Amino acid sequence: MAVDLEKLLRPVDHPYPPFEAKFMKVASGEDMVVRQITRDEVPDLLPHIEPLLHVERDYYDIVAARVYAELLAYYRHRVQDEYVLVAQIDGELAAVVNGRFVNPDVGMSYHTLALRRGLRVGAHAFAAKMEYHIDIAKQKEVLIVAESPIGFRRWMIEYQLEKRFETPHELGGVPSYALTRALFDRARNTLVVGRRPVPGALLRKAQAAILPPSNPPKPPADPLAAARAQGDPTNAAVLHPPPEKGKGA
Amino acid sequence: MALEIYAYRCRKCGAVHYPYRMVCRRCRQNAHNEFDPVPLPRRGRLLTFTILHTLPPDFNVAKLGLGIVELEDGLRVTGQLDIAEPKAGMAVQGSVEVVRRGEYEKTHGLVFRKA
Amino acid sequence: MREVYVVGIGITSFSRLEYPLSEIAAYPAMMALADCGLAGVDQVYVANMGAARINRQTGLASAVVDTLSLTPAGAALIENGPASGASAIKEGFLAVASGVHDVVLVTGAERMREVNNLEATDFVATLSHPLAEYIYGITLPSLAGMFTRLYMERYGVTSRHLAMVAVKNHDNAMLNPFAHLHQKITIEALLDSPEALTNNPYVAEPLRFFDMCPVSDGGACVILAAADVAKKVKRPLVRLAGVGQATDTHAVQEREDPTDLLAVRRAAAKSFEMAGVKPPDVNVAELHDAFTILEIVESEEVGFFKKGEGHLALERGETRLTGRIPINPSGGLKAKGHPVGATGIGQAHEIVTQLRGEAKKRQAKNAKVGFTCNFGGFGNNVVCLTFIRED
Repeated sequence: MAVDLEKLLRPVDHPYPPFEAKFMKVASGEDMVVRQITRDEVPDLLPHIEPLLHVERDYYDIVAARVYAELLAYYRHRVQDEYVLVAQIDGELAAVVNGRFVNPDVGMSYHTLALRRGLRVGAHAFAAKMEYHIDIAKQKEVLIVAESPIGFRRWMIEYQLEKRFETPHELGGVPSYALTRALFDRARNTLVVGRRPVPGALLRKAQAAILPPSNPPKPPADPLAAARAQGDPTNAAVLHPPPEKGKGA
Repeated sequence: MALEIYAYRCRKCGAVHYPYRMVCRRCRQNAHNEFDPVPLPRRGRLLTFTILHTLPPDFNVAKLGLGIVELEDGLRVTGQLDIAEPKAGMAVQGSVEVVRRGEYEKTHGLVFRKA
Repeated sequence: MREVYVVGIGITSFSRLEYPLSEIAAYPAMMALADCGLAGVDQVYVANMGAARINRQTGLASAVVDTLSLTPAGAALIENGPASGASAIKEGFLAVASGVHDVVLVTGAERMREVNNLEATDFVATLSHPLAEYIYGITLPSLAGMFTRLYMERYGVTSRHLAMVAVKNHDNAMLNPFAHLHQKITIEALLDSPEALTNNPYVAEPLRFFDMCPVSDGGACVILAAADVAKKVKRPLVRLAGVGQATDTHAVQEREDPTDLLAVRRAAAKSFEMAGVKPPDVNVAELHDAFTILEIVESEEVGFFKKGEGHLALERGETRLTGRIPINPSGGLKAKGHPVGATGIGQAHEIVTQLRGEAKKRQAKNAKVGFTCNFGGFGNNVVCLTFIRED
């Protein structure tokens, strides 16, 4: 008699409304599509995130590591009620944002990972995530933490988030801040951007494939110089990228 | 005790300076410290202003109103604005209050409101 | 006074450089030495603003002269805020013109991105007057914002004109391999589209995100030499013909007319006078556009256009690469980048490249007389340089 262990290990997702895709014109004049992906597309996404594990600046390595884990957990049915939105420009991956619905009233924002720089893609993607929690899923508030000072300034200070220090955040128990519905409404003109519906051809291009970013963040060209730049005389401060296939370490 | 922001009048030629400089701009003849402190008038006209969104540390607010005011006596000062909708040319009134809070210290300066 | 020539130039990419500051200063110097084929120099000047605070290194020039193995040549750091670069070139010019030295290496570098944005913002804000401005939370963008508001009211400059400067400079930078930003932008996306406010948010009203130059790391170098050395170097003869500097009040509120940049006007006039040319003689210029408004106003104050008409010339396309007087063919500070200490030398690098006829896709036509304006603080210390191609 086989015990279906998977049934014990797999949480049951509650029904939440889907995120209807939207699009916006970014500073380059290109149109960016923000859409929700299901588990099926996670394997297409992971290879674009993996290289960022080796980019040891701007918190790329830690955010990429955690996003990778969260995506894998979503794919393997080990986290309940997680969602993933991707932003694409001309099919190329520009950003990934994710989070979770803790209960009907409270959302938990996980991460915002921008792979295309200089176009405020992160700002657009973060706004889409907040719209999903408050306007679409009709939650009362979203709990947020920031790994980087830039994130802190952009979200905590700019939107004047409320402190929820008694509530630990799922991302490691640090005290949370909350975007409440009231705060969201006050900032509506910057948090609800983009247009729906997405024109057919634009949406089809995005849905066809998640293409690799053409100019993603890369590890330093010269790891030894980068280690010197970090003030490390042993030249070990920057983890060297894994050796190329076929060559020695 | 009411706090004042001081301008400096040259004892040789009477020219008033704000902020402080060591050598009088008009006569260049003053000896060291040959200035009399003169409290700045409080009323003036808002010459120009900005709403600053990218703030330095010590300021945990989303935005800050800053402006240049031409005071009654012709001196110009920079100050923070506590004005909902500033307009260039509007009459303003200044008061000396805390304008910056560091980790351990407070700094006082001019805050302008609609007159 | 002897004549002074630029015999060698070098530059790094302006971007995020994960190299120690002294190496960022040394690399373009190595390029410049290779460019002119000279092995040694008599004196080294290093332009930099942040080494002591941001990079925790003092005596930077002593570090640079050693890492280049140019000891025992004399070396000194020149710090003049954002005008450090052109200031250092001025010191090198004086050294050669006076006859004290024959070959002077002037290199500038900045590594802003060793610290986060908050720290970098505060660091640049320390240029303002400590008691009259800094305490209030004044930053350089806020000074530029107040200035821009007045300029818009008095002369009719609009956000659209500012965006045109940004778009032009971004387009130029696409042709510049070492520019910080290789990013096309459109006025529609910045101003008109429904998402314009997120794409281009206000930073210091009325200035917006795309009116501000980026925070960059980078280095640039020029080697100055006397005529006899220059003639032996097998490179086009470009002479540093005019150097002008002027200062103004520290606190911006004390400027005589709050819409004038008097230090720019005076420094440019002195530079032209020394060089024996006039503004209409200039074929190509690099003007300090830390904020887009500054390109417009400087183009008036240096004498290319009448006061209050710079934005009209911009509308007519006169300052495009293909226009009558191309301004910022490199992409300017807006798109090429602004590693503070290196900027003034980067401007000189671009003009020398233009006058040598080596600017490839961004080559200005008939580039014989070139001009740079390096703007320190918020216009209280300005250095202008005039270059002339002699052969």
